[in-house]
Amino acid sequence: MNILVIEDDQEMAGFVERVLREEGHSVSVVHDGDSGLSMARSMDADLMIVDRMLPRKNGLDLVREYRESGGASPALFLSALGDVDHRVEGLKAGGDDYLTKPFAPSELVARVEALGRRGGSETPITVLKVGDLEMNLLARTVKRGAESIDLQPREFRLLEFLMRNAGQVVTRTMLLEKVWDYHFDPQTNVIDVHISRLRGKIDKEFDRPLLHTVRGAGYRLQA
Amino acid sequence: MKLPLPSFARTTTFRLAVVHAVVFLFFTFGLLIYLFYSTAGYMRSQSVKELDGEVQALAAAFNSGGMDRLNQSVVERSSVPGPYFYVLQDPFGDTISGDFATIPDDLPVEGSRETNFTYQTLNRNGEVETRSANGIIIRLPNDANLMVAYDLGTRRQIVDRITRTVWTALPIGLAMSLIGGFLISRSAAQRAEQLTRTTDGIISGDLSRRAPVVGSGDEFDRLSERLNAMLDKLEHLMMTTRHAGDAIAHDLRSPLTRLRNRLEADLRDGDEADREESLERTIAEVDAVLATFNAILSLSRIQAGDAARFDTVDVSLLASELCELYEPAAEDDNLGFATEIEPGVSITGERSLIAQAMTNLLDNAIKYTPAGGALTLRVRTTADDHAEISVTDTGPGIPAEDRERATKRFVRLEASRTQPGNGLGLAMVDAIARLHRGNLELSDGPGEPPNTGLRAALILPKP
Repeated sequence: MNILVIEDDQEMAGFVERVLREEGHSVSVVHDGDSGLSMARSMDADLMIVDRMLPRKNGLDLVREYRESGGASPALFLSALGDVDHRVEGLKAGGDDYLTKPFAPSELVARVEALGRRGGSETPITVLKVGDLEMNLLARTVKRGAESIDLQPREFRLLEFLMRNAGQVVTRTMLLEKVWDYHFDPQTNVIDVHISRLRGKIDKEFDRPLLHTVRGAGYRLQA
Repeated sequence: MKLPLPSFARTTTFRLAVVHAVVFLFFTFGLLIYLFYSTAGYMRSQSVKELDGEVQALAAAFNSGGMDRLNQSVVERSSVPGPYFYVLQDPFGDTISGDFATIPDDLPVEGSRETNFTYQTLNRNGEVETRSANGIIIRLPNDANLMVAYDLGTRRQIVDRITRTVWTALPIGLAMSLIGGFLISRSAAQRAEQLTRTTDGIISGDLSRRAPVVGSGDEFDRLSERLNAMLDKLEHLMMTTRHAGDAIAHDLRSPLTRLRNRLEADLRDGDEADREESLERTIAEVDAVLATFNAILSLSRIQAGDAARFDTVDVSLLASELCELYEPAAEDDNLGFATEIEPGVSITGERSLIAQAMTNLLDNAIKYTPAGGALTLRVRTTADDHAEISVTDTGPGIPAEDRERATKRFVRLEASRTQPGNGLGLAMVDAIARLHRGNLELSDGPGEPPNTGLRAALILPKP
């Protein structure tokens, strides 16, 4: 992916750049809001990562102006301001996701992958497929091979999110945010338990597991 | 050129005293004038009435018994001592009877006329005194003349006395109103002065100073109370900030030191395989440090928070959502999970924070309750119309003497040392409760001693 990073803190910018390069992305870095905006307009990145507090033009204004001038690249906000209303501000300004500093590299990578994927397909999908696992979004049915699988509504949403991000690592925090709409980390392993239930339904009876645990990061659904 | 006022004249005390005196003076003066005129007027109308009465009585005597009867009445009345004078003259102008030798004024051509005259008399000390009188002269149908008059001396004396009283009372009143005004406004100014001294003390760094509250419940007391409440909040915030620094140092330093030592050891010795495992543990530990750091930040934000962006939160709905999130985890730990949720309980607050508080309570319950136990999530409206969100468990509970301490930052009770956690959970619930003008109650759960269990209840005001 072609990623534009707009971050004034040199160290943080370097860290983000390194992490993303290791994942095989090509990264351009600028350090202030004005040049960030003109860069975003000219380079048509697959994804931009924008710090909220930037010299010359803050991140919110940058993304807002970029969207107003028709820019479509997904934007991920990075910010030390992590309250719910800060997130809401970010999303309202045209951001697609919001990551609070400090964050783990795996969290950043997972979100970048998820956003890059989302940017790709604009046509509505009605059927999701991972290996022999198939989800019909209209009929709200799931089957693996020929066998149909019965899921609770929340399990369905959980699996849907995993399938939409198939092949990518999704973190527990992302699941809690996107599937349950909570913006904090529980201390207990609630998410793991939900995952293991889901695993029991989609993987248990089958030879080849689809839902993998990525140590220290999260989960990945992959054929 | 305008002269600058002397400094005492600029004080509120002086100004209020002067205003008070002037207002008092106007009122007093007006009151006295009113008193004077109403008294004098009343006395005048009274004497006119009495004079009329005399005239009527004598006229009746004349009508019933002619001049003889009238003469007899005049003689009788003249002999009685009193402020009335009578003179009866025959049609030829000769005085028949009465107090004076003659009528001391012009006679009316017909009907009657009012008369004012002066006469001389001996007073009690034997001196000649000139006095004035007011009366009426009547020409009778037979052309005889009758005068009835009234000595004005008594009336004048009363009026004089009132006038004198007024003039004596005014300066006394003025002096008293000045003193009164000074005393009243000085007490007010003293309270203001006390407030000034308190704020001076605070500015110079003594945040423990408080404005005096006398207990009278007046405006100054209320001002002081609000000021003190504000200072409490400020002091609390200052302490919180100070504590946050200590807390970060305390809780982040040890894991970071541990990490550093391990990394250093890895660098010196250890083969590839060991190194990989060590790195994974390192990542896990750094994640824990980050989580603690985030928790410290959000706790500080909550404690410094404001209620500005509050919205209506359906607590019942939130509870059932969280129940759905937590039930599998409880089941996995072989814990019973029951809910008693009264539908439609809502409060004014921030959804994510309320969810955070409930999550922390559920996390604690699941963490500390041994397998085979049970937890219950309840939402109900209390008798005094508060929303109550409670989580009870059958774990070890918190001894009564530790409950107060348990809600402090980084306090981890002995029993919990072996469990993962950063010691911020209950502190955060407590802070969230306070932010919503509610409180966190910890009490015994449903279990039997020694495992009494814990009941943690979030009591929040309803909108």
